[in-house]
Amino acid sequence: MRSFARVTCLSLAAGLLPSAALAQSVDYQALQDTMGEPVTTSVTGKPQRASETPASIEIITRDQIARSPAHDVPGLLKTYAGLDVNRWLAGQSDVAVRGGVQTYNPRLLVLVNGRQVYVDHYGMTDWNLLGVQLEEIQQIELVRGPATALFGFNAASAVVNIITVSATQGRSLVAAGEAGGRGYNRLSAVTTLPLGRDVGLRVSAGHQREHELRFPSNQAPASDSRGVKRDEADATIEASPGVGTHLTVNGGYSTNEQLELLPTQVPTRQRYEAMVAGVRADQDTNWGSLTGGVYANWLDVHFGAVHSGVTNFEAEQLKNRIIVAHGAALIRVGLNDVLRLGVEYRNNRLDGDALFTPRVDYGVWSGSAMLDLHPTDGVAFTVAGRLDRLSLGTAGAMRLPAANEMGDYDRRFVRASFNAAALFQLGTAGQLRINGGLGYQIPSLIDLGLRIPLAPMPGLPQVILAGSPAFDPVAVWSGEIGYTKPLSDKIKLDVGLFYTKTNNAIASPGVNLTLTPSMIGGFSLVTRFVDAGRFRTAGAQVSLAGTMGARLDWRANYTFTDTHQEIQPIDVVALAPRDTTARHKVNAEIGYHRDRWFATTVLRYTSATRQLSDDPLGQLALFKVKSALAWDQKIGVQFGRATLSVTGENITGASGATGSPIPADRRFLFGVKLGL
Amino acid sequence: MGASDLNIPVATRVISFVQPALSGSIPAAIIYEPGNAASEAEAASIERAGPLVAGKGSLRLKRVAANALGQLAGVRVAFVTSGLRDVGAQIAAASARQSILTITSDLSCVQAAHCVVAISTAPRVQITVSRAASKAANIQFGSAFLMLVKEI
Repeated sequence: MRSFARVTCLSLAAGLLPSAALAQSVDYQALQDTMGEPVTTSVTGKPQRASETPASIEIITRDQIARSPAHDVPGLLKTYAGLDVNRWLAGQSDVAVRGGVQTYNPRLLVLVNGRQVYVDHYGMTDWNLLGVQLEEIQQIELVRGPATALFGFNAASAVVNIITVSATQGRSLVAAGEAGGRGYNRLSAVTTLPLGRDVGLRVSAGHQREHELRFPSNQAPASDSRGVKRDEADATIEASPGVGTHLTVNGGYSTNEQLELLPTQVPTRQRYEAMVAGVRADQDTNWGSLTGGVYANWLDVHFGAVHSGVTNFEAEQLKNRIIVAHGAALIRVGLNDVLRLGVEYRNNRLDGDALFTPRVDYGVWSGSAMLDLHPTDGVAFTVAGRLDRLSLGTAGAMRLPAANEMGDYDRRFVRASFNAAALFQLGTAGQLRINGGLGYQIPSLIDLGLRIPLAPMPGLPQVILAGSPAFDPVAVWSGEIGYTKPLSDKIKLDVGLFYTKTNNAIASPGVNLTLTPSMIGGFSLVTRFVDAGRFRTAGAQVSLAGTMGARLDWRANYTFTDTHQEIQPIDVVALAPRDTTARHKVNAEIGYHRDRWFATTVLRYTSATRQLSDDPLGQLALFKVKSALAWDQKIGVQFGRATLSVTGENITGASGATGSPIPADRRFLFGVKLGL
Repeated sequence: MGASDLNIPVATRVISFVQPALSGSIPAAIIYEPGNAASEAEAASIERAGPLVAGKGSLRLKRVAANALGQLAGVRVAFVTSGLRDVGAQIAAASARQSILTITSDLSCVQAAHCVVAISTAPRVQITVSRAASKAANIQFGSAFLMLVKEI
């Protein structure tokens, strides 16, 4: 991996390009304190109150994070309506919105301060590689439904944007430690320091170790079941060199080693090493704001060897690098309407031995526009559109025998995505929200360019597992009707109906490999990732939230999800959204605080599912995951600047609590947090 | 705090969104009408909320009677108590002349473009900004703030 200094220099040089992240110069805490509710830019790109966004959104605040039994971001998300959060193994989690959860779940774009942490080599999120500590999170924003028109490819079903505290908030230090069952220990520290009148530094670091879950005897054991090893460091400088000008420079380094179930469900140990660097500038004007920035993410992935049934390949290394440069203008039109114009260029490349050529890459040019109109006090219309033009390419000589011709990778396509929404304030009767959109998931570079020889099979010529440059982007159509109403000054009701249709879902080969002969560079048999078909989810969600007195707050939600699939059987593809998506999910959270004490109770019910895993012979199969009622509990007490806590996870010991074919366990964690 | 009283915590945060940011010791006034019980009570309520911090500055408060607006010289921020419609034009003129940010709980003052900012907090926080009054007083706010409020 390149030296950090070189990486930083390259990014700083690239920062001369016009570019932009979202309007991250927003002082979220100050605006929240002023408006009396969280503020977000993740729905339309303009700052909006959480209660006025034209999309289904959740904002998890700093206080809620501090009191939650959860110890990571997926754990924080799992109690919200419409989400499937499956913790497959000790370190591997996936989050899907409105159905279709799978290992290496695509289509959910995850960002930290508007910078992508979704990793593009496989099109997934490693939630242990975010490079951010819980103690530095200002808020977590979840936007349900496609947001491709704002964020581009991969925000196909939802967006999670993690916002950190400002580096200019003054002098602070938070150090936290947590340890408990199954060898779990986590240390983190976050400090902010003023470096001058209008300059601030934030530095954070984290460390985590955790033993792996025990595999049941009816599933293929992992050949290497060492536990999770995660280490991270990140630094950010923010400065305001002039009136209305805000500059941010950020860099980080993260490593994570953990056992993972691949999309083929084969358990392998992965080692990730990631670096990020970026610069961003925001300028306020008397007509709106301009934002520009550039960032780069480098990822080294070390895939462990796989020897399971018919899946046999040796350890591989892949190097992924993305550079994103984008710029945006938020323009106030008239008194209360806003136009947003954006441009973006993204270059994404993957290098490694397991590819069609030494390098497979693509560049994407994008242009987008959003118009937010408020014709009257009680009505808002939002429409957003985006055009993305992708050019696929390769570098180096093709590896033989091959599954494709070189010319197959000389490919370009354009996709148009959109979001449209209407929001009606109905006075005391509540608020009605109607929205819909079309988003796209781009095939990952592995989907497009993988070429990996499988171990020789007796009597057969060379067998190659290959991606395909002919894949179309996965299209996700979504529609939603939502209604929000205060039932009293202490209780709020939110009801929603949703429909999501996913076309041309891409999947790994299933139980039986479909082999087709290829004569390119010699005779070989090819099995490919495939267009598995389509599936749709339709359902309803009901959420209630309220307070009782000054000390008790609560929220509860229920989600019904019906999943229909037109997808080939698992004999052919490793994808089964109808089986893997729970039909019923109920969550309840009750928080109590008094003087120095707080207690948070989380109860979750998930109906039974079937999840994909390998049997002891390495054959893909669906395994029953029992319905589960899980109870998580955190109790804390403050002594001066220190907070001591004890957390119970899955106290009921429900085997299906994590939605994984590997049964969940029960454990207790003890924590201490020191804030200065 | 009475129903028509200004929400001071919100008002001081609004001050922090002015560009360029006010800092240090910020001269501030409470404009009230002597003899008007409600106005005097609101002025007293604002005084009791002190000492007031606004962003990187702290407010140095003084009372200014509505019939003595000449005392606003040097003031950067003024809290306008409710019910001063008769002197709204004079307050607007003083604000424009001396670039004073005027903040009130009286929405009609902003609707008439006599005050720059109105704040109401029931059932939830609503901030209204008069573009004409802010332009006249040469008061600029950050764009993120303006996108969250109602401009008229």
